[in-house]
Amino acid sequence: MADLEIRDLHVRTEEREILRGVDLDISRGEIHALMGPNGSGKSTLANTLMGHPAYEITQGTITFKGEELNDAPPHERAKAGLFLAFQYPVSIPGVSVANFLRMAINAKREEPIQVKEFRTQLQHAIELLDVDRSFTSRHLNDGFSGGEKKRAEILQMAMLAPDVAILDETDSGLDIDALRTVAEGVQRLHDEQGLGALIITHYQRILHYVQPEFVHILMDGRIVLEGGVELVERLEREGYDQIRQEFGGVGELAV
Amino acid sequence: MSAAENGAREIKVKAGRHRDATLYRALAGAGAGDGRSLGELREAALKSFAASELPVWRRSGFWTTSLESLDLDALETSVEEQGVPDVVTRTLPDRPRAGRIVQSAGAVVEVELDEALAAQGVILCSLEQAFARHGELVRPWYSKRLPIDRHKLEAANAAFWTGGIFLHVPAGVAIENPFELVYAVDRPGLAQYGRTLIVGAPNSDFRVHEYDLAEDFEGQSLHAGAFELYLQDGARCRLAQLQDWGRGEVYDVSTRFVGVGRDAYCHWLPALIGGHLVRQHLELAVCEPGGDMAFRGIFFAEGTEHLDVFAADLHETGPSGGDVHWRGAATGESRASFEGLIQIDPGAQQTHTYLQIHSMMLSPRARIDVIPSVLVSSDDVSASHGGTVGELDEAVIFYMQSRGLDRASAVRVIVEGFFEPLISELGDEPLEDLVREKIARRLAAAREDIETYATSR
Repeated sequence: MADLEIRDLHVRTEEREILRGVDLDISRGEIHALMGPNGSGKSTLANTLMGHPAYEITQGTITFKGEELNDAPPHERAKAGLFLAFQYPVSIPGVSVANFLRMAINAKREEPIQVKEFRTQLQHAIELLDVDRSFTSRHLNDGFSGGEKKRAEILQMAMLAPDVAILDETDSGLDIDALRTVAEGVQRLHDEQGLGALIITHYQRILHYVQPEFVHILMDGRIVLEGGVELVERLEREGYDQIRQEFGGVGELAV
Repeated sequence: MSAAENGAREIKVKAGRHRDATLYRALAGAGAGDGRSLGELREAALKSFAASELPVWRRSGFWTTSLESLDLDALETSVEEQGVPDVVTRTLPDRPRAGRIVQSAGAVVEVELDEALAAQGVILCSLEQAFARHGELVRPWYSKRLPIDRHKLEAANAAFWTGGIFLHVPAGVAIENPFELVYAVDRPGLAQYGRTLIVGAPNSDFRVHEYDLAEDFEGQSLHAGAFELYLQDGARCRLAQLQDWGRGEVYDVSTRFVGVGRDAYCHWLPALIGGHLVRQHLELAVCEPGGDMAFRGIFFAEGTEHLDVFAADLHETGPSGGDVHWRGAATGESRASFEGLIQIDPGAQQTHTYLQIHSMMLSPRARIDVIPSVLVSSDDVSASHGGTVGELDEAVIFYMQSRGLDRASAVRVIVEGFFEPLISELGDEPLEDLVREKIARRLAAAREDIETYATSR
């Protein structure tokens, strides 16, 4: 049984059905890529998995480590080991990166983390993500550049050590250096901590730096095509339109 | 929506009565202290008290602060010494300090001053005692800039004050630890007329932490305060005030004036955390060239509290600097009104000042009104203002929840983060922690209200 099992997931938001029967299995140590054109439902899936209140599950189930999550509040999902790296991380004025990280780590623990242990972890994460030490004393995402925000997301991911992380278009708006840092960070967390990841992306770019074992293509609220990394190459060659012609209208699963 | 409609308070305004008490301007020039003796000033104030009504402050279309629900005749002053009230012992942090003076009801019940400082000429005592023993240090400053006749409670203070606090820091004396000044209201039925006078002699450098505290009780009490701080040439003071009048029906109508002399500096931060009905007239004035100031403020209103702040950033001469930054939040059915005034008098050239006020609504039934105003009578100056009005942002809450914080914790982090830029400016850890704790406690009390609000949107 996979750690994260999504079965026949239908999701509605603002009176519109966006997801129309998604099935997906993700386990620790696996890197998945979810690709699809704009409006296909990628962000809806990410937000639904994390429990965003604006998204209503009308059918199907999300199961994590054997527990159904459909009605679990977001913080319970986080505690269970899920993580969402946001496409548009919000700023939290007045709260430093380090303080926020400490709060988030302590929320998952019975006893507050020791100062020394926290520092060691933070130092490790800082090196991993190639950020300046002063970064952690700045207010979270407040006045951060696009690249800094995404680095801060991955920094949090490294510190919180989830079992499965969903990265919602983490590559969008990044220059090539930032993209490489972020992607390599994900790869190393996978290699070192056994992170499982669902990398959601519109483009192929990020997949040059982090190697997915499984690739899924989402269109009109359904996964229409699944395969290995060769799918990325096909997509690069043919574009979404070709695939849409093939599967879009039918919407049936294919291999 | 009027205050009456939202259920916060019944408002009745009697025509004509409020006119003389409508005060949205800085105090003009000299105060009442013009060479008259204390006795003569008290007598003049008594006449004004007898001739005036309880004040009403009105800002048409915005707010009305009325003391009509206060039963002044039922309140009593008391000069009986009953020791330091529990609320003071409970609240004040255990920390090194330069000195402490506590007034409970109408009597000073504790005075403590570091011996080494006393030897350097620092004076900390009741204002009554200061008049008796240090008249030459008190008289030139007493009521120098405070009037005694603008409204009934100001007159009552000037006529009836007992106890009082006097602090004198001699020239060149620099002190790191704070002087703690405490006004405590320990029971209902009290009228406390608090009177504070602080003089920082040239090049002195010191900190003042004022605490205004009350026990939680049922029934009405009044604190009508008058506060003056004068900083002479080159003096520096960091002045903080923590006001928490508890859950009782405590009315607080106070006037505070801080005068900044030549090349002097004041950082002033009132934290107004609680009170049934609070009206604060606050003025930070640069009176001599080269004076500089940072005027900060925090307020948090909950339940059915009513808060009315008038904060003036007054420049009487130039060059001078000013920087006003307030942050306030309201929950429950509370009302908070803030008027921030930048006033640059004729001739105050080369003045540069900025006023910003940020507010956060934590409940649909709470209301915060903000009026920034700028009165400039010089041409070679810069003065501007800005501000934001916010509410709890669901996107931010979700973000924090996704990191494992539950909803209540997320809200706490947002509100603390909102106030943090000012709290951390206090530069004094025990006081910072106390302000954070006070806000967290108020927030916890309003938790249900905030939950309902958030889920209703």
